[in-house]
Amino acid sequence: MIKDGIQLKVNGRTYALKKDRDYEEADTLSKVLRERFGLTGVRVSCEQGACGACTVLIDGKSALSCMMLVTEADGCDILTIEGLDGSDPVVDAFVNTYGPGEGTAMQCGFCTPGFVMEAHSLLNENPNPTDEEITEALSGHICRCGCYHGIHKAVEKAANHICKCKEEAEAKEAANE
Amino acid sequence: MNRETATYIPREEKRYMGTYRPKIDAKEKALGKTQYLDDITLKGKLPGMLYAKILECPYPHARILKMNTEKAEALPGVFAVLRYDDPEIKALGRTTHAWTDIAITPKDSDTIMRYWDRDFLPQTGLWVGDHMGVAVAAETPEIAEEALKLVDIKWEILPAVYEMDDAKKPDAPILHPELNPTTNQLRHSEDGIENHLFFQRGDVENALKEADFVLEVEKTYGGVSTHGCLEYRGCVIRWDEDKMDVWTNHYMTDQTRMYLHDYTHVPLNKIRVRNGNSGAHMGKWNTGEDIFFMITAYLSKRAGGRPVRYKMTNHEEFHETRSENRYKIKAACTNAGKITGMEMVAEGNSGAYIGGCDHNVEFIVSETMNRAFAPVENVSLYSYTWFTDKVPGGVVRGIGNVQLCWCFMSLLDELAERTGIDVMDVIKMNCTNDINWPGERNRSICRVLDEGAAIIGWENRHKAGEGPLIDGCKKRGMGVAIWNQWHAELNELTRGFYEVSIRLNPDMSVIIQAPTSETGAGGNSAAVFACAENLDYLNIKPEDILWTPLGDTELGLRDNAPTDSVISFLYAEAMAEGAVKLKAEILRRVGEYMEKDPEELDITDAYVYEIANPSNRVGVEWFMLHTDCVPIHIHHARHNVREEAGLPFGAWFTEVEVDIETGQVEVLDMAVVNDVGCVMHASGAESHQISGQAMGIGEVLFEEIQYDKESGAMLNNNYIDYKMVTMADFPKRVTPLLVEEWKGLGKYGAAGMAEGAFTGAGASIANAIYNAVGIRIDDQAITPVKVLNKLMEKGGNRE
Repeated sequence: MIKDGIQLKVNGRTYALKKDRDYEEADTLSKVLRERFGLTGVRVSCEQGACGACTVLIDGKSALSCMMLVTEADGCDILTIEGLDGSDPVVDAFVNTYGPGEGTAMQCGFCTPGFVMEAHSLLNENPNPTDEEITEALSGHICRCGCYHGIHKAVEKAANHICKCKEEAEAKEAANE
Repeated sequence: MNRETATYIPREEKRYMGTYRPKIDAKEKALGKTQYLDDITLKGKLPGMLYAKILECPYPHARILKMNTEKAEALPGVFAVLRYDDPEIKALGRTTHAWTDIAITPKDSDTIMRYWDRDFLPQTGLWVGDHMGVAVAAETPEIAEEALKLVDIKWEILPAVYEMDDAKKPDAPILHPELNPTTNQLRHSEDGIENHLFFQRGDVENALKEADFVLEVEKTYGGVSTHGCLEYRGCVIRWDEDKMDVWTNHYMTDQTRMYLHDYTHVPLNKIRVRNGNSGAHMGKWNTGEDIFFMITAYLSKRAGGRPVRYKMTNHEEFHETRSENRYKIKAACTNAGKITGMEMVAEGNSGAYIGGCDHNVEFIVSETMNRAFAPVENVSLYSYTWFTDKVPGGVVRGIGNVQLCWCFMSLLDELAERTGIDVMDVIKMNCTNDINWPGERNRSICRVLDEGAAIIGWENRHKAGEGPLIDGCKKRGMGVAIWNQWHAELNELTRGFYEVSIRLNPDMSVIIQAPTSETGAGGNSAAVFACAENLDYLNIKPEDILWTPLGDTELGLRDNAPTDSVISFLYAEAMAEGAVKLKAEILRRVGEYMEKDPEELDITDAYVYEIANPSNRVGVEWFMLHTDCVPIHIHHARHNVREEAGLPFGAWFTEVEVDIETGQVEVLDMAVVNDVGCVMHASGAESHQISGQAMGIGEVLFEEIQYDKESGAMLNNNYIDYKMVTMADFPKRVTPLLVEEWKGLGKYGAAGMAEGAFTGAGASIANAIYNAVGIRIDDQAITPVKVLNKLMEKGGNRE
C-alpha cells in the first residue's frame, strides 16, 4: 500500500515527510537526504552500489542510501556523517592519521564520509576487529586516491581508542561498586 | 637504512614545512563538510535549474543525414534543444584538447596543440559514445533523456577501424580528412611532417652494427584504463543577458573563463567561474570533453537564462582512457651491460580524437632521452599517432611516463638478465639526465636505488624463476623500476605568472589566497605550511592561517592548475617571496609610526625593533590594533625560474607472489623511494607514495576496459564491471621513504611528487613477475589468463 507520508529519524531528530511535497515515491534515500535535508556529506557517485560513498547508518548498520528508496527507510533511525562531530573517535582517527609511514586517511575527501560511516558500523558490532575484519568490512568502498593503508590505520586507532575508553569505564564502574 | 629504520631525514630542519602533521582540511573532509560540485549546485540553491543531455553516437562511425527534433522540442518540460546545424553552433568553428594547464588561451597557437579535430556538436560521430548532433535541456534528467529518444535521425553508417595496424592500411576509412585527407596518421606537432624521424642523436645504425648484441623489446601500455574518479565531470551555467555564471569541478576556473570568452566573446569581467573541490583528478580534463561547457552555455542562453546543469553519467565518465602506446626498441648493448644506441618506433592509438597520445610518442619520449637516458649516445625515434573509432585516449595521471617506464624498465631488466649483471647496476650505468652530476653516476638514482634495496631486502632476491615453490603452487619474485620525478620549476614555464596574497589581520590571524582546486594533491596544506614557515618573524603558526579555498574568477587572483603536482612547491616559493614583501610593508608602516626609516628596523617575535637600539620596539599586533585596525595585505606574482636544473628520481621495488595454477598475481610488499629535492609536507608526500600504488597496481593487475570487437564500444564502462583496487587488494606492506639528494632552483628547490607517485609500479611488478616465474607480459594488463598462457608457452606452469 502506498502511504501518504513517512517518518524518518535523521541525526537524532524525527521528521514527518509528506509524499509529493517532501519526496516522491521513486526518490532514493540519498536524494532526499541531500536535497530535502541538505545533508551533502552523503555523497552520490556510482549509483550502482559499487563505491560506498553514499553510506549512512540505518538503525546502527551501514546501508547504501543511493540503493534504497526513501520509503524503505520509513520509521528508521538514520545517522549521516553530519550527525558526528570532531570529537567522534572515528573522525578523530581519520584526521590524526599522518605519522611516518602511515600516509593519510584521505586525499580528495570525496569518499571519506562513506568510509567513516562504514567504520562506525563495523565498530558498533565489533569494537575490537582484527586486521582481516577491518579489510573485509571496508572493501565495499572505493577510494580512488588509494588511501587504504591510512584508512586501515585510522580504523585500528579508532578501535583501540574505543576499547580503551570502554575498559576505563568498566574499571571505573568496578571501582565504584 | 632498512625497513625498520627507513625514515625521512630533512636536509634542513624546518618548523612546519616538511613535517608530519594533518592536512589542513582533514577535519572538514572527515566530517563531510567539504563541498563538491553537486553540493554547491543543489537545485534548491539554483531555482529553475534545467538538466542537459547530449546525444551519444550509437555507431562507431556514422553521419547524420537528416534530423527531426520537433517531437523532442514539443515534449513538456523541455526548455531548449540545440542542434549541430544551429547557427550559434556552426559559428563556433572547431576546437581541440589541452586548453587547460598547458595553454595560455585556446586560440594561442604557441601554447595550444595545433590539431583542431573537434566540432562542438559534430554531425559525424567517431566512436560509440561520441557526443554529437543534438543536446537538450529539460526540467529533469529523465525528461531530457526522453527528449533525446524522440529525436528522429536518419543515419549514414560509415566503415570503422579500431586498431592501429588497421588504421594504417591503405584502404582504411579516413577519420579526420580535415587534418589529413590521405591517412589516419596525425601529423607531427612540431613540423607537420609525416612518417619521419622525430628525434635523433648520434649514429644508431653504426651503434647497432658494433654492438656485442642487440636486444629487442615491444611493449604496449594504455587503452584499457581510465581515471575512475568518484566525482564526475560537470558544470552548471547560467547565461543570462550579457552575464555568464559558471560552477564546475574543473580544476581551473581562470582557464575555463578564457575558453568561454574565446568562443562566446562575452567579456572576461562578465564571466564568473567558480569551482568546488574535486573528487579526485587523476589527469582528466585534457581531451576536449570540456566541449560540454559550450553546449551547456548555449542551452542556458536558449532557455532564457535559466541555469543548466550538465554532469557526466557513470559511463560518460569513462569517455577518456590512458592513451594506448606501443614502443618497439632495438637496443645496441655491450656485454658489460651498457646501452650504446637505441632505435625506437613509438606508436599511439589516439582513438577518435587527440588527447595527448601524440605527446606520448613524440615529445615525452625525446624528453626522456635527455632526462633519463642521457648516457645513451645514439638514439633515433620514429613516431606515429593513429586515429581510430575508439574512445579517445587522453591524459591519465603519469601521462606517457607510465607507458614509457613500462617499456624501458623491462628493457633494462632484460639487459641485466642477458649480461648476468644486477639490474641495479644496469640502471645506474645507463640512466641519468644531461644536467646533474656530469661525469659521474647520478646520485639521485643511486640513492633511491640503494635505499629501496635495503628496505625490500634486495640481497635476498634469487635468479629468475629459481625461487622455492610455496604452498605447492606459488612462486615469489622481486622487481625494480626507476623514473624521474616531475616536474621542477623550468618544466612549468607555460603557466606564466602565478599569484598569491597574504592578509595580516590586526589580531595576527592571516588569510592567504593561493587559489587552486583541491583535488587531493594537497597544495592547500603546503601553501599554509610554507606561509607559516616564512612568517616566522611574526610567530605565525599554521592554525593561525586561513587558506581561502578554490577558484573564483571574481576573487581577484588567477587560480593555478594543480596538475603535475607542482602547486605545492610553486606556491611555497611564492609564499617565501610574499613573506619578504609583507615584512617590508610592516616595517614601512610601523617605521612611519616610530619615525624611523624601515632600513633601521627589523622584526622578530612579532615585534618591530630598532636595530641600533633593540629596546625601542613596537608589537605588530599592538600597532595594528591601536592605529587604524586596517589589515596589511600584500599581493605577489611570480614567474618560474627559467634555468635548467634537471630532475631527481624515484624508485619502486616490488615483491610479488605468482600462483602458477591460477595465474593470479599478488603484490606482497613494496618499497617506494622518492627524491623530491625538498619535502613540502611529509605526511602528504608519504600519503602519495603509499596510496599512489593502488592506482599503479590496479592498472597493471585489475583494471581492464573490455571492447566489443564488432563496434569498438566499451563493454564495462561502469564501476561494477571495471574492477578497481579496494582495501582487499592493497598490499599488506608499502614502505615509503622520502629523500632530499637533488636540489632544484628557487629557495626550496623541490620537484613534484603526486603525479608520478606510481610511475614505476607497473614496471616493477612486471619485472618481479619475471623474477618469480621467468615470463614477461608485454602489454597491460597482466591478467591471470595472460600469465597462464605465457607459462604454457614457456613449457608448462611448473617449468
